[in-house]
Amino acid sequence: MSVSEVDPNELVATKAWDSSLFRRLLEFIRPHRRLFLASFGVLLCLFAGELFGTWIWRGTIDGPVAEAAGAEDRSPYVRELLGWVGLYLGLVVFMTGLRYLETSVLTRTGQAVVHDLRARVFRHLQHLDLGFFDRRPTGALVTRVTTDIENLSEMFTSGVVVLFFDAIKVAVVLAILFSINAQLALITLLTTPLLIGVSLGFRGGARRAHREVRARLARLNGYLQEVLNGIRVVQVFRREDRVAGRFNEALDRYFEANQRTIFLFALFYPAMSLAVYVIQGAALWAGVVAITGETLSYGAFVQFWLLLNMLVRPIRELGERYNVLQSAFASAERIFQVLDTAPSVASAASPEALPDAGGHPPSIRFEDVEFEYVEGSPILKGVSFEVPRGKTVAVVGATGAGKSTLVNLLLRFYDPQAGRITLDDVAIQDLPLEILRTRFGLVLQEDFLFAGSVRDNLVMERESVTDASLTEALAASQARDLLQRLDGGLEAEVAERGATFSTGERQLLAITRALAARPDIVVLDEATAAVDSGTEHRIERATRALLEGRSALVIAHRLSTIRDADEILVMARGEIRERGTHDELLARGGLYAKLHALQFEEPAA
Amino acid sequence: MVILARFFRRFLRYRGPLLMGLVCIPLAQLADVAITLLVGDALDQAKDASDAEWMGRVLTWMAVYAVGHSVLRFYQRWLIVVVSRRVEVDLKRELLNKLTSLPFAFHDRSRSGDVVSRLTSDVEAVRMTLGPGLMYTLGAVVIVPISLAILFTIKPALALAMVLPMVGMGVTMKLLTGRLHSFSVAVQESIASISHRAQENFGGIRVVKGYAREDQQARLFEATSAENRDNQVELGKARGLTHAAVNASFDMTFAVILLIGGLAAVDRTLPIGDLFKFIDLTMKVFWPLIAIGWVLGMLPRAIASAERVQELLDEDNPIEDGAASVSVADVRGGLEFEDVGFTYERSREPALRGVRFEAPAGSTVGVVGPTGAGKSTLLNLVGRLFEADEGEIRLDGTPIRELPLATLRGAIGYVPQDSFLFSEPYADNIRFGADDPLDDAAVEALIERVSMKEEVAEFPEGMATLVGERGVTLSGGQRQRTCIARALARDPRILILDDCLSAVDTETEKALLGSLRSAGTGRTVLVAAHRLSSVRDADLIVVLEPEGAVETTGTHDELLEREGWYRTTWEQQQRTESLSAEVESEIGRAS
Repeated sequence: MSVSEVDPNELVATKAWDSSLFRRLLEFIRPHRRLFLASFGVLLCLFAGELFGTWIWRGTIDGPVAEAAGAEDRSPYVRELLGWVGLYLGLVVFMTGLRYLETSVLTRTGQAVVHDLRARVFRHLQHLDLGFFDRRPTGALVTRVTTDIENLSEMFTSGVVVLFFDAIKVAVVLAILFSINAQLALITLLTTPLLIGVSLGFRGGARRAHREVRARLARLNGYLQEVLNGIRVVQVFRREDRVAGRFNEALDRYFEANQRTIFLFALFYPAMSLAVYVIQGAALWAGVVAITGETLSYGAFVQFWLLLNMLVRPIRELGERYNVLQSAFASAERIFQVLDTAPSVASAASPEALPDAGGHPPSIRFEDVEFEYVEGSPILKGVSFEVPRGKTVAVVGATGAGKSTLVNLLLRFYDPQAGRITLDDVAIQDLPLEILRTRFGLVLQEDFLFAGSVRDNLVMERESVTDASLTEALAASQARDLLQRLDGGLEAEVAERGATFSTGERQLLAITRALAARPDIVVLDEATAAVDSGTEHRIERATRALLEGRSALVIAHRLSTIRDADEILVMARGEIRERGTHDELLARGGLYAKLHALQFEEPAA
Repeated sequence: MVILARFFRRFLRYRGPLLMGLVCIPLAQLADVAITLLVGDALDQAKDASDAEWMGRVLTWMAVYAVGHSVLRFYQRWLIVVVSRRVEVDLKRELLNKLTSLPFAFHDRSRSGDVVSRLTSDVEAVRMTLGPGLMYTLGAVVIVPISLAILFTIKPALALAMVLPMVGMGVTMKLLTGRLHSFSVAVQESIASISHRAQENFGGIRVVKGYAREDQQARLFEATSAENRDNQVELGKARGLTHAAVNASFDMTFAVILLIGGLAAVDRTLPIGDLFKFIDLTMKVFWPLIAIGWVLGMLPRAIASAERVQELLDEDNPIEDGAASVSVADVRGGLEFEDVGFTYERSREPALRGVRFEAPAGSTVGVVGPTGAGKSTLLNLVGRLFEADEGEIRLDGTPIRELPLATLRGAIGYVPQDSFLFSEPYADNIRFGADDPLDDAAVEALIERVSMKEEVAEFPEGMATLVGERGVTLSGGQRQRTCIARALARDPRILILDDCLSAVDTETEKALLGSLRSAGTGRTVLVAAHRLSSVRDADLIVVLEPEGAVETTGTHDELLEREGWYRTTWEQQQRTESLSAEVESEIGRAS
């Protein structure tokens, strides 16, 4: 079922303003402060232009229109009027340009910040330990770099800057209103709390109602998806009516939630315009009183009226801005939580270098290693063994014996609770993490191909991989003819999750990938999936090429790999039960012999 | 457009509220216009008045209009939008009924994501255009001509001159909406690829870390994020263009008023109050005009959506109900397959060919064979999930095509291979199988029959616990046993088990099969299985070849005597089983 239920922890009501979070966000603004200043400049110019527009109306009405009264020759007034119109046209051109800039510059500014933040969060996530990823569903992590970031972008494009600016706007307009006519302005001002009240009063309700609708819609769609997945069962059991009944129930819930939202908004808009009418009524009354008392000119009144519209808009949008800020801060908090998480597996503060072994591959040693993923259920109970220089050690055992954990620890995906792991007698914790991992040629069981070309996947931008080493690797792994059937060969695009290739072919590519860097240590977790015998032979040969002359730890499933190993470790329940070569262990007739019979011996048919 | 008209007919089911809502639109607009006229006249009156006492009357009227306007606006939105939601609900209900009645072949070939999007975003696009879209359009259609007409009576030349920039605004909006839409699609796509990249990376984090590719991945992600940023910036530019163009035509309308109105005012042929009316009404028609442009711009999308929804509604149902007058109670459960063949829609090779065998009422028949031999397909034909192309399947002698679906399917208890369960309370999943409501005791009895009693008792809320992500996650074996309980709940004449014991351990399997048999007195059981021990005691075993033909049939003992797939596989499985047991005991012994 794919209902996108939101984690209840992620729905914490946050404040609409959090200064400490905001200060941290400011750090991300700093590199783009020029753009921010530019946006601010554009907004200021626009505002000035708008104000100037109201002056043109006032000037026209109080100027030529009023002065022409009773005049014989009207031509000077007409000329004056044309002057005002010319000014207005100039203003239109200026404003049109600015309006274009307003949206485009604000978007650019917001997106620049948001892009930085997104890249930073992702980069930070990359360096967190695997334990962090184990504990969190992939979907929730994806949300950090998508939805949460988008919420923040909303804050930059329509939140902070505009809110801050709206405040300036309201103050300036009020000041002008007072300068035009203090009495008129005062009366008008007294009626604005109504509008503010309506705007803020609806904000909470509107948010709750929207959230409710979204949740119910998710339920509804989730159920629909579920019915489609189980349509076979529904039809054979003749439960079409029951399903329709449940669907209708969900549909009714959804409708009810919608009805509440519609009611709220149907109420909200008229309430808003009523509040505006109250303001306008007050202005009209006070205006007419002033006009008849000759303390106000017509032009001034029209200007006042136009300015009123400029005042009302930011107040009306106050509630919405509040909601934007609130969800942005909630997202910011989650994002900073990620940024504040330190990886528990990190490079040593003063890493040591691996001693020079004169070009020979290093030896690997596990010394009394103990490990548990979850407290109280040990996976490795004191494991010790050595992989001598250039030798192969194969690990076999039933599932759940702890084999893959050996690989996880060697690669430092996790650190053991006790014991130590060394390369040429240097503990791996003391080696720089990246150097450690780049030394390994790694082939994992469920190897993963990323979107991109085949070459990208083989090279993975490693400096150690050259054209020559790649060609060599392709030859050694015999994966070259695999590429011939692809359009574009090495440059062919890999389909989603490597669907272009069969399981066996993906294994060959993974081996090629490891070979291409000419590693001196190999970590191989063999895949168990069955492949056709032709591919099987190629994988066997490729594996041999991979292990040749390198220190290798292999979680082995292939008989050929096991036979070739210099030593075999048989694991069960987190301990090494038997060790020796293939022939020695078979002769002993213990666990290994039984496992071997189970996996490899053909029944005598 | 025709298709939208067809959908609009659904709105007419609610013609009462719809009509009332539609009537509210012009009335609300008129009240709004009246206020402008009132203010304009008051301004003129103020010129000659010596006091402001008459203002009381003006303000009273203004209050009346304002309240009237608000009430009408409330009803307009409330009535029309609610109707549009009702239509949405009707449409979705109808679509779901359609979907559940469509033959399985339809679901087999269509992607569920596509079907879901027709029921969600397509329905929403149609609703938006025909509901709120219509409301806005109608609002504009009323207020624009009324305002122009009023202005025309005041100053014809000016009113005429204003039309030009206004039309310009609507046209600009329509032209730019399409452009905006394509940019926002690009933005959506790049957001999707960000999410895709992140998903891929977090899913493959072991490889990333194993190869120390963190930095390279971060760079790749950064590039994707930058692409999104660039698309957003492009969209921002397009929005800026729209914003600027719309406002420019608005400003030009004012320029026209300033010029012509100003000239007339200088000439004393236009009083100040009338000039005010021009200014204020222009501001009032601004948004409705933009809305018209917006709706027109959205039309192509709405039409495409309407077509996709209609396509689903028009999908026809080729599984025809049989007419034979047989009820579930009459079914004894004898099945005959006579030369049955079946080919999947998109495949050239038949999945089954010439399958012939008989399962007398009350017998147990096992269907075995290598992967892909057509075992599931064979079982699916019995309940007519798919229709056999060749030959005939008969139930108690009557071809299943001639039986009413209610009878045929009513007689079948089906346990699917994928052990599908609903995210509902555990007990409801079992009750799902029964035609009549089951009491708790009956459900408990079924739970016990499939050996789930102890496990269910450990669920946080017992059998009332939700199944799935929001409740308990069941293991494969638990799911399979629950599916069996569900099938048994209807006490079926025919029980179809589609390889449904693979995740159950051998001990439990034995117990379950025993319980099924003892309960299955007189019940016909069809079992498909990978593990041959599941069919060991069957009265008849049908062995299918990889190409879907019957290799051989017989009882377990008979088949063991013959050389062939059955014997080889049996021996292999026996051996594996005993070796696994040995390994287990060896591991146990040493620790």
